[in-house]
Amino acid sequence: MMRVATLFLALVLFLPLAQAASESSWTHEFEDGYITTKPLVIEDSVFVRTSGFWTGDARPVIAAFDVQSGDEHWRFTSQTSLQHDMAPLLYAEQGSGGCGSWQDLLIVGWADGKVTAHSTEDGSLVWENQTEIDQIGITGSMLIEDDQVIVPTRTGLSSFCLADGEEILNVDVGFIGWRNGVTAIEEGFVFGDESGNLHTVLRNGSVFSTHLGEGKIRHAPLDTRHGLFVHLQTEEGSTLFLNGSVLASVGQSPAIPLMHENRIYAATSDEWISILCDEDTCSIEATEPFHSNGELALRIVGTEIEVWAHSNTVSGGWGIFNQTAFVRMENFSFNTYGTAAPGFGPGVIAYGNDAGVLKVTFESSEPLGEEKTSVNILGGIHYAAVISLFLFTCYSLAHRDIKQLTKVGSAFLLLIAIAVVPELSLKLAEQTSPNGEAEWNPSWPDEWLGTQVIVFEIDGVEHTIGGLEPQQTVYDLTMIACDELGIETEIEQQYFGAYLVSFNGSVGDGWEFSLDGSRSQVGMTEAQLNDTSIVEWRPA
Amino acid sequence: MLSAIGTHGPTVSPTTMMVLNVILFIIGVWLLIKPQDRKQTWLWALLLLTGLASASRIAMGFIPNVMPVTILAVMVGSKFGAQRGFAFAILVTLASNAVLGHGWWSLFQILGWGSVAILASMVKVHDEEGILSMSQLAFASLWSVPVFSIIVSLSIIDAGMSPIEFGLYLVNGLLYDLLHFLGNLFFAMWFGQWFERLLNMNQPHHQIVQQENGHVSTF
Repeated sequence: MMRVATLFLALVLFLPLAQAASESSWTHEFEDGYITTKPLVIEDSVFVRTSGFWTGDARPVIAAFDVQSGDEHWRFTSQTSLQHDMAPLLYAEQGSGGCGSWQDLLIVGWADGKVTAHSTEDGSLVWENQTEIDQIGITGSMLIEDDQVIVPTRTGLSSFCLADGEEILNVDVGFIGWRNGVTAIEEGFVFGDESGNLHTVLRNGSVFSTHLGEGKIRHAPLDTRHGLFVHLQTEEGSTLFLNGSVLASVGQSPAIPLMHENRIYAATSDEWISILCDEDTCSIEATEPFHSNGELALRIVGTEIEVWAHSNTVSGGWGIFNQTAFVRMENFSFNTYGTAAPGFGPGVIAYGNDAGVLKVTFESSEPLGEEKTSVNILGGIHYAAVISLFLFTCYSLAHRDIKQLTKVGSAFLLLIAIAVVPELSLKLAEQTSPNGEAEWNPSWPDEWLGTQVIVFEIDGVEHTIGGLEPQQTVYDLTMIACDELGIETEIEQQYFGAYLVSFNGSVGDGWEFSLDGSRSQVGMTEAQLNDTSIVEWRPA
Repeated sequence: MLSAIGTHGPTVSPTTMMVLNVILFIIGVWLLIKPQDRKQTWLWALLLLTGLASASRIAMGFIPNVMPVTILAVMVGSKFGAQRGFAFAILVTLASNAVLGHGWWSLFQILGWGSVAILASMVKVHDEEGILSMSQLAFASLWSVPVFSIIVSLSIIDAGMSPIEFGLYLVNGLLYDLLHFLGNLFFAMWFGQWFERLLNMNQPHHQIVQQENGHVSTF
């Protein structure tokens, strides 16, 4: 019996460890440079490039890491590129075509106008070619069509053979472009420039240009069934164009929009935008307050769609939206400004930001689903243990074995209590606690009126912040506020759900929050906020 | 000294906390080694159980109020007396809170488990021959909970808290007290005899054999 008891206790003790082991990650910090573009997760490797703020002998790099261990496979350093290397990396799977055959390649467009192709195995240079430069070279997204890579250059468009890098097409449109990604359409290729022109290059090299308006086209146009969609950056803000007609005027510094099925997702410094394209036209269906100026990314989790947008604010993080609404924030301790979308692989997410930090997480790539699975497993074990102990208790009772009955019965009752006490306790607290209302503190700035405010009482000192972007849950607001206030947090997934272990390393007897003056019936990840909620964290 | 008074008791400054911990540790060691007439057969057993109780409290921190510390405080108090029982309470609290976090509550936890040990030294869960009574231990699983719970809850009292609010606080904790009781009962029923063997580890062999024969329950 002693062995059984020890095994039982060991199982109870190791459950949280097993759950903790299901969430792992690694981080690599580049000493110099932003990560401005999406890391690529290809099979067992993560590829990433750096851009900007290098000093002295430091230069921009592309690097490959083992996706599981974080070991660096290889690194290629450009000795000639200038700042602002922000053309997304492009992966070309091995193949063959009219101009030859090629291995798996990583295609890189550089700010010094070079296009280089690297072996994904060791980073060695397979071929390189040069495009036009006008102070700067390539900054937009490239694409692969058949056996060619199509490159938006500073002044036009080029294409190169994937096998040997031989230039096949070179078109100069007479205008300079910046982050001017290219899109393939039926007639050829289309891209924008810094003067508000939309250029269509036919495959025979002919060029047709359209002036949309005064502004800058800094993304690859989207080819919808109602014509090309363009988000034009203007002096006052930005304008959405569909097939040459104005759709709407929105905020400043637009992000790079993306399209999925019948929806277009866009963002600015002011909002995240969901545009629905029906049978007749496209129109804005939903907006959410958000600040994003870089890449957007799409992830499909089961039947759900997630649109990820990097929050380009000091608190950083990634906002996750469904088709029409904000869902949650994904935050890390290294959060800061950023424009890079996360890269997705099977069970893997790779994040990069302006601090040059690359973080790769596994298994938690589907955080909600993973958590649910873990809870289901724990719940299943718990349920099986309760049933088994119940049957064993009945057996002991039937055989009038009192000694055994006390043991098995105590274990049975304990497991039942562990399952029901937390929820019952919350309900009891709700019944017995006076219904409080959060009080507005007159010492708080007036600018916080009508916004969410959060208070932390740590070591007897209150830290308060308000006026942040509205958040969905107590967890989201807590994370954002802690980043703003420089408070370190430690959160664990425990038996009863997400558990805030410490603020600034202070564990105490635990921490509890009140929402608008009342104890919440649910945990911090489920507790929903309104736009004027007041959250208070205090020692338990 | 006390940097703030809040709804959860005074917040003690790190320096004060350190001084308090040192004083408590010295008291704990003094209570432990203070000579008594009895032979010192308890020392290693007590230190071993202190380590066991501290480690299990830390390891089981994810299940609130379920830990073997209270039942061990009962057994140590009953077996070795109030002085050693209180020393046990001090050392376990200091050791486990070194990981879980020290604060004003540490003092009340020590008082809570110390009081349980002192009461157990009077109520006893061992008979006159020193044999563990499982029925008494089961009963101690129950009475030790309100003793510990009320004393620990005193840590939240401040000048602005009314008796009604304190009462509501206690009522809100009743279900967790139930969990505490069931946890105590579980450890008593499943591990009571094993803990007892550890308590007896340095006793002469013939005494242990004598006691084993008188066991109410053995594994």
